Amino acid sequence: MSDLGTPVQGVTLYSFTRAFHGREYDLEGLLRKVAAEGFGPGVEVIGFSSIRDFPALDDRFVGWFRDLMAELDLVPTSLALNGDWAVDPRRIMSVDEVVDYMTPQVEAAARLGFPIARITPTSLPPEFMEKILPVAERCNVTLALEVHAHHHGKHEGILAMRDAFERIGSPMLGFTADWGATVVGFAPSLLEAYRRRGATPELLEEVAALWDRTYQEGPPVTEEQHGERFGAFIGLAHKHGRPDLGVDFGINGTGLFGPAPIDTWEGIAPWIRHCHGKFFGIDENGEEPSVPVRGLIEFLVQHGYNGAISSEYEGWHWNYWEDPFDIIRGEHVVQRSAAIDAGSRMITDPAEARAVLTAHLGHGAAEVAR
Amino acid sequence: MIPDRIIEQGTLATTGSAVSVEVRLPWYRSLPASCISEVGLSVDGVAAPAESLTWTMNGRTRTLDEMVGDTDDWWFPTDSAVLTADLPVTPDAEHVVDVELKLYIPYIVTDHGVLRIEEHDTKTMKAAQR
Repeated sequence: MSDLGTPVQGVTLYSFTRAFHGREYDLEGLLRKVAAEGFGPGVEVIGFSSIRDFPALDDRFVGWFRDLMAELDLVPTSLALNGDWAVDPRRIMSVDEVVDYMTPQVEAAARLGFPIARITPTSLPPEFMEKILPVAERCNVTLALEVHAHHHGKHEGILAMRDAFERIGSPMLGFTADWGATVVGFAPSLLEAYRRRGATPELLEEVAALWDRTYQEGPPVTEEQHGERFGAFIGLAHKHGRPDLGVDFGINGTGLFGPAPIDTWEGIAPWIRHCHGKFFGIDENGEEPSVPVRGLIEFLVQHGYNGAISSEYEGWHWNYWEDPFDIIRGEHVVQRSAAIDAGSRMITDPAEARAVLTAHLGHGAAEVAR
Repeated sequence: MIPDRIIEQGTLATTGSAVSVEVRLPWYRSLPASCISEVGLSVDGVAAPAESLTWTMNGRTRTLDEMVGDTDDWWFPTDSAVLTADLPVTPDAEHVVDVELKLYIPYIVTDHGVLRIEEHDTKTMKAAQR
């Protein structure tokens, strides 16, 4: 195995969606909060969430954003982009149309100083990545396709993408590994939220048990199997007279809590350029009860990973009663402790983070988009 | 995703024969007008006639039919849209307002088609005379 990795600590502003959406913090306020709390140095931003008129950016906004990040000594890690291939839901775009749609988004990443563009959805075909690669090369931006549950590091589609990356052989292609692919339990805080919505203890027990069964069986290898599992969650809701909860069970049970073992990331480990440190909560013992944060950090350290981990708190969907900033602080404690246990450390110094990320990606942030 | 925020508290207004209320996007990122699929509004359990519903966003007022296929006008997560409909509501009294939104999520496409989420919110508030 290569030298031990030193992942860069960071956060995605997605973790604070409720605070931003609730107008408690604007983009500047959130970035200042992240800096003041020491949640960086790495910062990921979702273009369509945080930036009005995205991907159209005027020079004034670009200058303001770069100056603010410099003032706060934060390190832009990933700008999250969206391949909205059904932007007009009456028809699905062709691959060429998605390339045209996402080109200004990749250019926006470069202009704002992000060295990585997170590409979603996971199911975009290899042909898409190959066709948009010249834009990434021109802009000096790494394209990191998100591997998100229900996909995982050994899913047939992901392995086909990895093989395509190997064939194309560009250093500008890789993956964003979302830890939600490798979860070990249905989040207790979500069961609590369903309980508050009137779900009976019997129904919740069956939901948790159904998820545990899919975990025992292992992750879905085919889309057909994924669909069957989605349907089983919906069936449970109907059986218990709560059809209104069915789609929610299905989306969360299959799309948020992916049941793959940690070592499925072996399938793509050398190609991981960014991580979403997806998690759902921190319990009374200071640990994440459903995401194996310690094991994931150990895996990354052992595989020489020197990229950023954007802590991605997703429990805000349902958890109205706890503070997301406290929860991020708690996950960072677990990450740092796990890195030390693995014989390494998380990087928290901004200058060191910039140097390590530049070496990890083989390029720095684009100064200007040409 | 964020259904509790759909209806903006304290924004119900009535002209006597028409009613309006401000609504928020129950999703984490901007969506174009083309993705606003269906909208329902009812007050005190009485549904507003669907054909009378109009949607005001970014300074433009349109019917939902007029927004079909519009990928230029976007609903930003911190902006309120104004939903208006023909429905008699008495001013200065408490009313139960119910809004249902069906929204397409344009990057999530499965074997079942484009993901369409259905979110709804109910809040009680006084109607202001307009």
